[in-house]
Amino acid sequence: MGSPVFVGIQRILVAFDASPHAEHALDVALAMAGDMKAKLFVISVIRPPEPAESAEFHAVLEDGQERYEKCFIPLRERAKQKDVELETDIVLGHPAEQIIHKADVVQASLIVMGKRSHTILHRWMLGSNSERVLRYAHCPVMIVH
Amino acid sequence: MTNTWALCALWVGLALAATLLAIWFKISTALSEIVVGTVAQLVIGVFLTGLFGFAQGGLAGNTQWITFLAGTGAIVLTFLAGAELDPTIFKTKWREASVIGLAGFFGPFLGCTAVAHYVLHWAIMPSWLCGVALSTTSVAVVYAVMLELGFNVTEYGKAILAACFINDLGTVIALGLIFSPFTIKTLIFLVVSIAVFVVLPFLTPRFFKKYGGRVSELEAKYLLFFLFAMGGLAVWAGSEAVLPAYMIGMVLAGTVGKDHSLIRRLRTLTFGLLTPFYFIRAGSFVSVPALMAAPVTLLVLFGAKSLFKAIAVYPAVRVHKYDGKAGAYYTLMMSTGLTFGTISALFGLNHQIITQAQYSYIVGAVIASAVIPTIIANSFFLPHHLLPHHRAGKKAEKEVMMPVPAEEG
Repeated sequence: MGSPVFVGIQRILVAFDASPHAEHALDVALAMAGDMKAKLFVISVIRPPEPAESAEFHAVLEDGQERYEKCFIPLRERAKQKDVELETDIVLGHPAEQIIHKADVVQASLIVMGKRSHTILHRWMLGSNSERVLRYAHCPVMIVH
Repeated sequence: MTNTWALCALWVGLALAATLLAIWFKISTALSEIVVGTVAQLVIGVFLTGLFGFAQGGLAGNTQWITFLAGTGAIVLTFLAGAELDPTIFKTKWREASVIGLAGFFGPFLGCTAVAHYVLHWAIMPSWLCGVALSTTSVAVVYAVMLELGFNVTEYGKAILAACFINDLGTVIALGLIFSPFTIKTLIFLVVSIAVFVVLPFLTPRFFKKYGGRVSELEAKYLLFFLFAMGGLAVWAGSEAVLPAYMIGMVLAGTVGKDHSLIRRLRTLTFGLLTPFYFIRAGSFVSVPALMAAPVTLLVLFGAKSLFKAIAVYPAVRVHKYDGKAGAYYTLMMSTGLTFGTISALFGLNHQIITQAQYSYIVGAVIASAVIPTIIANSFFLPHHLLPHHRAGKKAEKEVMMPVPAEEG
């Protein structure tokens, strides 16, 4: 971890959606934060179906909050063991927008996220979150494969 | 004779396909189910009628048990929508909420009625029905935007949210009262309704505390009893069953609405079995040939809804200190409303107030009003503080991929 490219990274933001790719990205970010004594921010985004319909929307919101809160419990333990300062947040909205917005708010010096392999149709219809974050984020972005 | 189980398998299979499409394309299940219902009716109606003993007429949406399941879906869905009201917010913000909510209801209600009657030359009753169906809004869409922008905790945000309930209340009251003659039955229905709405908030928590929390699901049976009983009374009086369902939801929002475990169990019943039948049935009555024959009618209705919503809501929103893009954003968001729009249109079709072609145009406009404002709002009117900072000059610099460190063993 002695590369000069990592100098000055004090605030790392990880996008976490509970997928295996995100778990991997989280492992990488946690290791980096531990080595560099950086503060780790973890953001999980609940994406509402569009257009949101009343009962379904509230169900999606509650399920998402519950699921991510469960995931954060062991993560807090791991961060404590590595002596990493950790802040978690669950937000609602479009994942790429919210990740970029959060990075701005916490003045992240690095965004770490996993890359999900989508079909061509899926990418064409919905776009790739990691590509959008790469395009618009104000800080370096690390995509973990 | 229709093979009940084969027909049931077909409908549940369509519901499964709709859910998968909703997951893949990140759209609401309700929207997906309507579209799947429309396409399935078209395809099955043309190619598969008669196979496996299916009734003539494709999906056979008027079969009695399908009508029952779909109707129950509409009632429980409306109840859940009412139960999401926050009584505390409503008590503190009722004045602003009433101004914006009534503007949001009366603007498109009167405007769309006039357009249907004078521009499309529909008869007066179909025009009123059209006005009711296009007057709706979606509490969920507005609430989603509030949460996204963090406005749900602001005073303005709370008022807008409460306004959506007033807007939808206007819709269900209009639906429940306009299309039935005022008789002694109506009076009995109103008196009994008021008595039930007053008693339920006191009776329900005490009853649940004493007998609830058992595997026999007493709570669900209790709620379904009141929903069906009041729905039956409403229909007897010539009204609509969703009117008391929405009101029961609202009066129980402070008690049952806060019981997350109960609401979750009701959602399982609703989403798992009931609403797929409701939305697929609503979609199956949409006539694609009618839409293709006169697409301008659909565009006129969609344009009328958006225009009159904007004319009515935007000044009301600005009076309450929402300026510029945020105000426009809320106005657009209040222009959506899938559930109550389809409920109103289906009521009109079932009671032969509107024809199938008119139903198709109204539902088409409702779907367009649910999808297009969301796209426009997300594309052009997103309040600035959430917009990404696009620094083209630094693009190359930031797209440098950094090396992945070795994982710790």
